[in-house]
Amino acid sequence: MYPAETPRVLVVDDHPMWRDAVARDLGDAGLDVVGTAPDGAAAVRIAAAVHPDVVVMDLQLPECSGVEATRRILAALPATRVLVLSASGETGDVLDAVKAGATGYLVKSASAGELLEAVRRTAAGEATFTPGLAGLLLGEYRRLATAPAGPQLTERETEVLRLVAKGLTAKQVAARLVLSHRTVQNHVRNAMGKLRVRNRAGLVRYAIEAGLDTD
Amino acid sequence: MTPGSTLEVSLWRAVAVFRLLTLAYAVGVNLYDLPNVAHPGVLVATLALMVSWSGVSIWAYRRWRAPVLVADLVCTVLAVAATWLVEDPQRIAAGEPTVPMVWAATVVLAWALAWGPPGGVVAAAVVGAATLVQRDGPSGTTLNNVVLLFLAGAVVGYVAGLARHAERALAESVRLAAATAERERLSRQIHDGVLQVLAMVRRRGTDLGGEAAELARVAGEQEAALRALMASAAPRDDGQVDLRELLAGTRAQVSAPAGPVLLPSARAAELAAAVAAALHNVDTHVGPDAPVWVLVEDTGAEVVVTVRDDGPGIPAGRLAEASAAGRLGMAQSVIGRVRDLGGSVDVVTAPGEGTEVELRVPR
Repeated sequence: MYPAETPRVLVVDDHPMWRDAVARDLGDAGLDVVGTAPDGAAAVRIAAAVHPDVVVMDLQLPECSGVEATRRILAALPATRVLVLSASGETGDVLDAVKAGATGYLVKSASAGELLEAVRRTAAGEATFTPGLAGLLLGEYRRLATAPAGPQLTERETEVLRLVAKGLTAKQVAARLVLSHRTVQNHVRNAMGKLRVRNRAGLVRYAIEAGLDTD
Repeated sequence: MTPGSTLEVSLWRAVAVFRLLTLAYAVGVNLYDLPNVAHPGVLVATLALMVSWSGVSIWAYRRWRAPVLVADLVCTVLAVAATWLVEDPQRIAAGEPTVPMVWAATVVLAWALAWGPPGGVVAAAVVGAATLVQRDGPSGTTLNNVVLLFLAGAVVGYVAGLARHAERALAESVRLAAATAERERLSRQIHDGVLQVLAMVRRRGTDLGGEAAELARVAGEQEAALRALMASAAPRDDGQVDLRELLAGTRAQVSAPAGPVLLPSARAAELAAAVAAALHNVDTHVGPDAPVWVLVEDTGAEVVVTVRDDGPGIPAGRLAEASAAGRLGMAQSVIGRVRDLGGSVDVVTAPGEGTEVELRVPR
């Protein structure tokens, strides 16, 4: 299911205790932790040097934020994937990280086993999501539906996100909708991917939208 | 305003400066005029009274505001009246100024400062009357001076009131800004420190198992409680409440939009109570530790809240049965509440597939 080679991981967190614990857990499980960084600017620098497969990214960072670091790392290294590991709860930060291109999101209260699983999935190109993230995405698409030419969810994608947001696992969603696990994964990945602001035009549109939205 | 506030102190200081400058002027002019007056002894005595009262009053205002103000008015009237004893009636009739001259206006400023326009006008009336009595009726210049006294009393009183109001408003906004900054600072500290440690204890403890797992559970509860506390924001000005904040304190895992889901506070409270009742049902029928999820959606026209558990589900007909048997838990506390709000409740359940209770409430 996963690529044969060991995923190479960069761990970014400003809290030394957390950073070390996460790096140790991943290392003990046989993953290749190629670096750690205490802030966003260092993360961008180190990522450029070590080309990790997965960046485990905290969002609240000094220097440059986790969202900004995600944007810069993915702009320089399109093959790298970002898994957000945040303590901040499900807020606008997380949505911004998805828009910046993060493909996974996990809260810090997740167990070491869940984290390991998420890093492996992220390395394999799958989306990692939580009910909270699904709720955020649903809210964001509803908000965008009022704007002209904004990205829209298909009916099926909405259906899948609603089930995920209500706490169903991917397996339960697949069973409920009579779909394959892979199809469910694709729907979620598309729902996240459509929000990603890819190019300059997208950024401008996003900025205008955000500006119009703040009344 | 407290007597110690910066503005109050500066205003009284300004009055003190005015008192001393006008005192110096009066003393200078009167001493120069000393050879020409009828009773130089009385003039010197009056000047001595003015000098000593000026010193005493400046020092004593801080302690005994009201008595000193009354005494101030009495001293001023005495000094004005002393003109009668000091000068010949001819010189007074010829327009000789009163002994204290413009020093007499100090008491009007002080009264205006302490008691606003009414205080200023009363003091101006008393000093003005004392001055006019000397003249056996109003002459041009004297009347002019009295009108100026009234104006000074009213205007200074009004402006002092405005300045005090402005200072109060400024102090309040500074206090609010400081409270907000402090709240944000604390949130950041808690977030960066305590929450991180609690999350880690929870994670490592669960992995270690045994007694450590118990510690992890307790740490997890505290983490959730602290997060809920930090999220509870002050009520908004427009009487609306963010439903997400009302649901943050429950044990459910809440999924919601990134922005606030606003409802009028009474409606939000009823909806939150209905959700709490649905969660209570989960506690009772599935278990207090059973996982439970809450999804909050805002379609614009209505707010949809779904409560879902992974329990054994409710057999068909069970709800109607319970309702008929007089056990009103679900029927009354959830469905009744939502219907009162003009909404509807859907229960989707099947044995082995958990239960979803969907509450729809129009805006």
